[in-house]
This record gives sequence, structure tokens and C-alpha cells, in this order.
Amino acid sequence: MTAVVQAAAPAVTELVRPGFLMRLVRRPMGAIGLGMLVVAVAVALFAAFLAPYDPYVHAHVTIEDVYQSPTAAHLLGTDDGGNDVLSALIYGARVSLIVGFAASLMTVLIGGTIGLVAGYRGGGVSTVLMRFTDFVLVIPDLALQIVIVAILGPSLLNIILVIGGLGWTSAARLVRSQTLSVRERMFVLRARAIGAGDLHIVGRHVLPQILPLMLATMVLAVSLAILAESSLAFIGLGDPTVISWGQMLNFAFSRGAVSAGAWWALLPPGFAIVWVVLGTTLLGTALEDVLNPRLKRHHLERDRSIRITEPEGMGWLRVEPQHADSPLLRVRGLTVEFDAPGGGLRAVHDVSFDVRPGETVGLVGESACGKTTTVLGLLRLLPPGGRVTSGQVLFDGEDLMALSERDLRSVRGKRAAIVFQGAMSALNPVHRVGDQVAEVIRIHEPAVGRRVAEQRARDLLERVGIGRKRYGDYPHEYSGGMRQRAMIAMALACRPDLIVADEPTTALDVMIQAQILELLAGLSREFGMATILVTHDLGVVAQVCDRVVVMYGGRVVEDAATPRLFADPQHPYTKLLLASFPDVLHPERPLQSIPGSPPRLDAMPAGCPFAPRCPAVFDRCLTFKPPAFDLGDGRRAACLLVEPTHRPPESIHAHG
Amino acid sequence: MVEPVIVAEDLVMHFRGRRSLADTVRRRPAPPIQALAGVSFGVAPGEVLALVGESGCGKTTTANLLMGLLTPTAGRVVLEGRPISGRSRQELARMRREMQMIFQDPYESLNPRMRVADVVAEPLRVHRVATSPADERERVSRALTQAGLAPAQVYLHRYPFELSGGQRQRVVAAAALALEPRVLIADEPVSMLDVSIRAEILNLLRSLATDQRIAVVMITHDLSTVAAYADRIAVMYLGRIVEIGHARRILADPQHPYTRALLSVVPVPDPSARRRPQVLAGETPDPARVPTGCRFHPRCPVALDRCETDDPALITIGEDHAAACVLVEGGGRLPPTPAG
Repeated sequence: MTAVVQAAAPAVTELVRPGFLMRLVRRPMGAIGLGMLVVAVAVALFAAFLAPYDPYVHAHVTIEDVYQSPTAAHLLGTDDGGNDVLSALIYGARVSLIVGFAASLMTVLIGGTIGLVAGYRGGGVSTVLMRFTDFVLVIPDLALQIVIVAILGPSLLNIILVIGGLGWTSAARLVRSQTLSVRERMFVLRARAIGAGDLHIVGRHVLPQILPLMLATMVLAVSLAILAESSLAFIGLGDPTVISWGQMLNFAFSRGAVSAGAWWALLPPGFAIVWVVLGTTLLGTALEDVLNPRLKRHHLERDRSIRITEPEGMGWLRVEPQHADSPLLRVRGLTVEFDAPGGGLRAVHDVSFDVRPGETVGLVGESACGKTTTVLGLLRLLPPGGRVTSGQVLFDGEDLMALSERDLRSVRGKRAAIVFQGAMSALNPVHRVGDQVAEVIRIHEPAVGRRVAEQRARDLLERVGIGRKRYGDYPHEYSGGMRQRAMIAMALACRPDLIVADEPTTALDVMIQAQILELLAGLSREFGMATILVTHDLGVVAQVCDRVVVMYGGRVVEDAATPRLFADPQHPYTKLLLASFPDVLHPERPLQSIPGSPPRLDAMPAGCPFAPRCPAVFDRCLTFKPPAFDLGDGRRAACLLVEPTHRPPESIHAHG
Repeated sequence: MVEPVIVAEDLVMHFRGRRSLADTVRRRPAPPIQALAGVSFGVAPGEVLALVGESGCGKTTTANLLMGLLTPTAGRVVLEGRPISGRSRQELARMRREMQMIFQDPYESLNPRMRVADVVAEPLRVHRVATSPADERERVSRALTQAGLAPAQVYLHRYPFELSGGQRQRVVAAAALALEPRVLIADEPVSMLDVSIRAEILNLLRSLATDQRIAVVMITHDLSTVAAYADRIAVMYLGRIVEIGHARRILADPQHPYTRALLSVVPVPDPSARRRPQVLAGETPDPARVPTGCRFHPRCPVALDRCETDDPALITIGEDHAAACVLVEGGGRLPPTPAG
């Protein structure tokens, strides 16, 4: 047991570290809830000092003292026994809070243990425990509480035991589901592989992850327990020897406060109950928010705030829409920023490239180099907080950045479609795959009838190699490769001129990857579609792309036709990237890795973003951001070494 | 030849399958999921063996069996001459120290609330290896240095989120190395890492084998990452090893049609070498419904009639090279792939 307690320590420090309280209080709900609860607890603690009278000491009362309306001596009047309501209210806080906290602690201990054991052990143990939980859950709590308290006698301890002993079910279910997900995490598996025992794993790895949830659950349970105690007391099953808010209500109702018009005996305890319940609920909700941040919203929301300012930097010259002719897509000076405390973070900086009809362009780079943000930006699909701050995206001569959201929708999906990496999350699990394909057709071509759309969807499934018969299957009945095919079918639904494929094969096996790439290449030939392929796989690029745009730190560092880029890379980053990529045909070639990490958005180097990792860095690189120099033949590189006026410099430090 | 430190002997692993409605109606038991159907190999100290195959081929099941995390339906794992099953509790704990594992996802396999020093010390504490706090610190520093995180003091007090992907995977490696294991099982150690830092982790594994004489089993779906780093390759398909042997030899001259197809679809970073990939139709069959005969025959581009009934065993075809295909029986060679 000590091991468990000791092991839980990091989580506790997590809870009490200074940032935690700040984060909690910064939320209005957290600040208000915490404040309300602190007031209630302070009142309970200092009842002896705050209350004008001691309600447990019965003074001599006369009939005139009963239900006296509020006066200076009795700020909230008197009750049926002629006692001061305010004092009873203050002392009542003690009982109500003790019941609330004790019962909720019990709830979390019982529910937590059952949920933890059920979630961690799984199998038969879990089945038995969870069926038992379900059984307890369906018992009408109040009815059973009444029966038990009536039998055991209404003492404070019995009331706590009854409330705690019946209220743990939701905590058990919550903790179990959380435990299940933690148990599946890799670091738990790793701990098992190390040879750690169950007690160690639970104490060190599982419990710290679910403790925040348990804390939030406990705070929420306080309000439920106080309500339960009040209900019990209200129907006369409270502990008669102590004063609680429920008890006050009970006496007031049963002893004629209503007919006496003594609202002061009824409203204050009711208000007090509402106060504490509201406070704990607010605090509990805020705690859940702070400790258990939910998944962020899906990143595919439309970009609400496009602010076009004059392009800066040294991108290609702006193109007048009427002069745009041969390329299908011209991206010019695209710049994307994300909101962040302390100003916008620039994720994509002055990106320009062209895509001609039927051409396949690869967008490559390490993770977080801005390639996905670029394609989301050019279709204005950025997540909340992200926006295109400057640049032009001319699609078939039309500036997508200047279109209304409504006009843009007719372009997106219909003329330019996007295929994402996570095909499972992009398909709706509760609809048949075929219907989802048909839906895309009907959204973009409302004139098409249901029957025709379904027929076309079946044809599309056939074309991408899934087969007409699988129209009615649900996404979970598809394999990973088939889901990606279904995504491609949806993208093809309206015969787009451009397909943007964001890491379409990354999570797939090589053989399935080969099938998907073959499919995309075939479709591109068949329909003359242009493709933008976002990938980190240089092998894929070499095999299927006509042009390559290499990105680093949110910028284009090199752009060339595929054969030239691989044969004669100009930018040091491209060279290193190529040297790091394995070639199964040449296993004897030693692989290099690029030292260091890509720059973080909030810590971009002042000069060339690659300078800190560059083996050919020299003094000017540290202060000057090189623009993309045109090297002729549609080839560009953003490196001072290829600057037309450049003369070989003295290297300031020689790497390896 | 050096004695192998770990040997898999004819490992078979069946999982209980889901009973379909038809099975229930006909009162048939659910067909078992045949994750592994007789897998044998050995790994010598200082050797890197790559288990290569697509998802569902049984490579992760093999790893879990080697680690003793699963009990095989048949067959056994032998570590240093003694089977790992039927050991006493203490022997089992001892055995766990000899074998360590590195996982695929360095972002997931580190507890986000633990500092590097605690992550690396955890296995020492679990096995009560360190004799004193000073000894523990010493061992932790040594493991971090071995994993290429030097000087160790810089990293001790960092949290995982403060490290890059490559550094995280090095921390995982250091935690595995702290117990000075003789066998290291690396399950897709680089597939979640950026290409630019894969080489450093692969180089690390390679040098652990060469310099520390650790036997490394590397599990991967990607032939190109193992090409330069593995001594031997075992290609798996649907619960079997279909080809095994010297890595360079297999890459240069694959003798099983599946190996050949798998090799042909690996994208090569050389546009001048655009190859005609031999893309197999369909997907790996459901391991609950393994085809009769050779399990690869429904997708095999060179299958013969007898492949539907004959289930070929591994046939030695050269020095440290064996393939399970009827076409290489009796000294035959795999015919060139028909142009497709």
C-alpha cells in the first residue's frame, strides 16, 4: 500500500504545482465555484464565531418567539422552536458539508477501486464487477436509502454510509473506461515488458493518469451527496440530534412554516443547498476541463477570418488573375499564421509554387515543416485559430482567397478534392460507406437524384477497387487500405481537376501503399487530374511525382523537377534529406541523420531557418533569410550558396 | 558459428476467434485465429535479425512470445539454452532482465509524468538491481551514455515533452539497456520517427549489437530501413517465415515470390530507377481463414496447381538462405516474374 501512495506522488505534485491553481482560477467557472465553496467551508469552520447564537443550546422560549420575522436580534427570524434561523443555517453548513465530503470520498474510494480493478484486470473480473455496478445503478437510490436508514436508524454515520454506499456507480464506470484506455497505452506495455508487477504498474503508471479524473468526480459527487442528505432529512430521516439544511427544511415544512407565512425559515436553507451544489458543480466542471483536456476540435473547420494584407517577403510577383493561363493552380506568397498568446505564430511563410493540369507535385519535408498547413491553407480549411494572412491562390484563374465562403464551397470537393491520412476518422462510422460517397455527389450536384447518385457511387467504388457489393458496408468492416480507397472514391465523386492527398499512404503497409499509389497514378492519367501529394517519403516522391517542392520551417527551400532534384540537389537541406533516406537497392550506402530538430514556430532563427543544422552555414546565414533564387529551368532554391552573386565564403564552423 | 542466445522453436499461436452467426447456428466452434503457424529462428550475440512483413503476418505476436508476454499454443522459446516457460518466479524475473524491448512510438511509450532519470531507473527499481542510490545513479548515467545521450546529467531531469523524437527513442533504449540485457527486441523502432533521424536510432541498435554483443530482433514492415542494418532477414507472411537468411543475399536475390513482390514495391529514392512494381492484388487473408496448401498461393503470380494442396516447408537453397516455395525444391530457382 505504501508503494501505491508513494507512487501517486508525482500526480499530486502535478495537482498542486503553481500553474494548476492559476489555470483553474483563470476559468470563470473555476474561480466562481472555488470561491463559493471556500465561503461555505469557512462558514462551517468558523461557525462558533459567526453564529450569533448556539443552536445546540436551547434557550427558554415562549410562544412569541416562534416564527418571528427577521429583526436586528434575529437577522433571519426564528424557526418553529423559536431558535435563530441564521445560527442554525451556519451550524447546518457543518453537517451538510461533512456528509457531502465524507460520502463523496467514500463514493470515489469504492467506485475508484472497482473501476480500477475492472478496467485493469478485464475479462471475467471486469464482467462480474461491472454487472454488479449495473445492478446497483438501477436500484432507485432514494427508495433504498429510505429503507436502509429507516432500518438502521437515522444517525449521521448511517446516512453517510448509505449515500456513499449507493452513489459510487458512475465513478466506477468513469474510472473503468479511463483505466481501459490508459492500460492500452504503450508506456504501460513497456512497463510490463520491463517485468514490472501489477501493483507497480497501477501505482506508477495507471493511477497518476486517472487521479485527476477521480478528483473531478469527487467534487461533483459532493453536490449529489448534499442533495441526497437534504432529501433524506426532508422526509424525516435525518439525524434528529444534529442540524442540517435538509433538517431545517423538514422542520419548517412539517411544523407550519408555510401556513405561518414564515418564508425566512424556508428560503435560507434552500438557498444554502443551492449555493453549495452550484459551487461544487462549477468547480468540478472546471476541474475536469483543466485536468482532462478533451480532444481538440476537429481540425477541419472552415477558416472564418481571412485577412489579406499586402504580401511581404520576396515571393514571386503577384499575378493578375486575367493573365493566369497555363498552370491549374498558382500559389503565390501564401502565408499562414496561428493565434498564440503574445502574437501570431507564422507556420507557413511566403510559399509559392505551381501545379499544371495532369501534373503530380510532391510537397515534402520533415514533420511540422508546414506542408499540411500549406495545403489546408490554400483550400481555406485551416483549423480554428489559423488564418491566411497574405498571398494568392489562383485556381484556374480564380483567386480562392478572394472568393466568398459560398463560392469557395463549390470549388472545394467539386473541382479540388482532398484526401486525408487518417481515413478512419474521416469516414463517419455510423453511415454506410456507399451512402457517404453518394452524399458527396448530391451535395455538389443537387440536381442528381438519389438513385443516380447511388449508382454513380457504386461505379466509383468499383473504379477504386473496392467493388460494387461493398456499398452497404460500414467503415469498420473495411480494412485500412479499403478505407483509403473509399476516401479516394469520395474525392473523385465530382471529377475534380485537382486532388490534394495528404500523406495518403503513411499508415498503410507497403503493398497496400503500392496499390493506392498505382490507383492514384491511373486515375490521374485517366482523368487528366493534377495531384498535390504531401508526403515525407522521398521514395514515393521519386516514383510518382513530376515536380518536388521541399519545405523547411514553413518555407519552400527548393523546388525542381523530380529527376533534377534527385540528381543534383542545390539546398543543403535537400542534400541531407536525400542522404538520410534508405535505398533498398543500395544497402551498402551509409545513411546519415540530420543533427538537431526542425525549428519550433515560436523560436524561428533570425536568419535562414536551416542555419542551426546546416553543415555549410556561414555568417550571413545567421542574419539573412534567403529568398528563393530562380536558377532557371523552373528551378528555385532558398540558399545563399546559390545566390547568383554568391562567392564561396569562409565557413564559420565546419560540421563533420 | 556462435551459439544463438535466443531461439524460437516451431512457435504456434492460436487466438480464440469470434463465433459468427452461421457457426453458432451449426453449433461449430469459432475458427481459431492462427497468428503463428510454426516459426523457428535463432539470434546469436552481436547479430541483428529483422522480422519483416505486413500487418497481420505475426511479427508482433512473435515478439510478444519471445518476451514471454504471451504463452505459445505450441513450440517454445529458449533463452540461453533453457526454455522460458516453466520457470520459477525468480527465474522469470531474472529472465526479464536478460530481454528488453523497444517500442514503436517514442511519444506513447514514455509516461509523460516521469522524468528521464526515473524512466531509466524504473527497471532497476523493479528488479532491485542497484545496491545503493549512488550505484543507481551510476547505472542510469551509463545507460544514457550508451544510448547516446551524453553527458547524461543534461537529460536526467527533463520530461519527455522536452525531448525530440530521436532523444525520446534513445531514452526508451537507455531504459532497456539499464538492465544490461543480452537480447533486445525492437518493435518498429523508427517507423514513427522522421526519416531525417531514423539513421541515428538504427546506427545505435547496430552498434549495440556489434559493440555490446547484444542479440537484436528488429521488427519492421519496411525492408528499406533494415537493408543496411540487419545481418539476417526473416520475411513473414500469414504466420509463417517464408524466407530467411543473410540480409544482403536475400535483398539481392529473393527466392520466394512474396519476398520478391515485397521488395519490388519498396519505393526507391531514385527517379531514374523507376521500377515496375509487382503489386499483388488484394490484401493479406484473414488469419482465421488461412488458405489451403501454400498460404501465399491465392496471391502468388507464379503459383502452380500443386500449390493449392502442398504446404512447402523452408528449403535450404544456399549458405544461410532458405525459402518456403515448391519452385525452389531440389535445387530449383524462382523463375523470373512474368511481365504483368
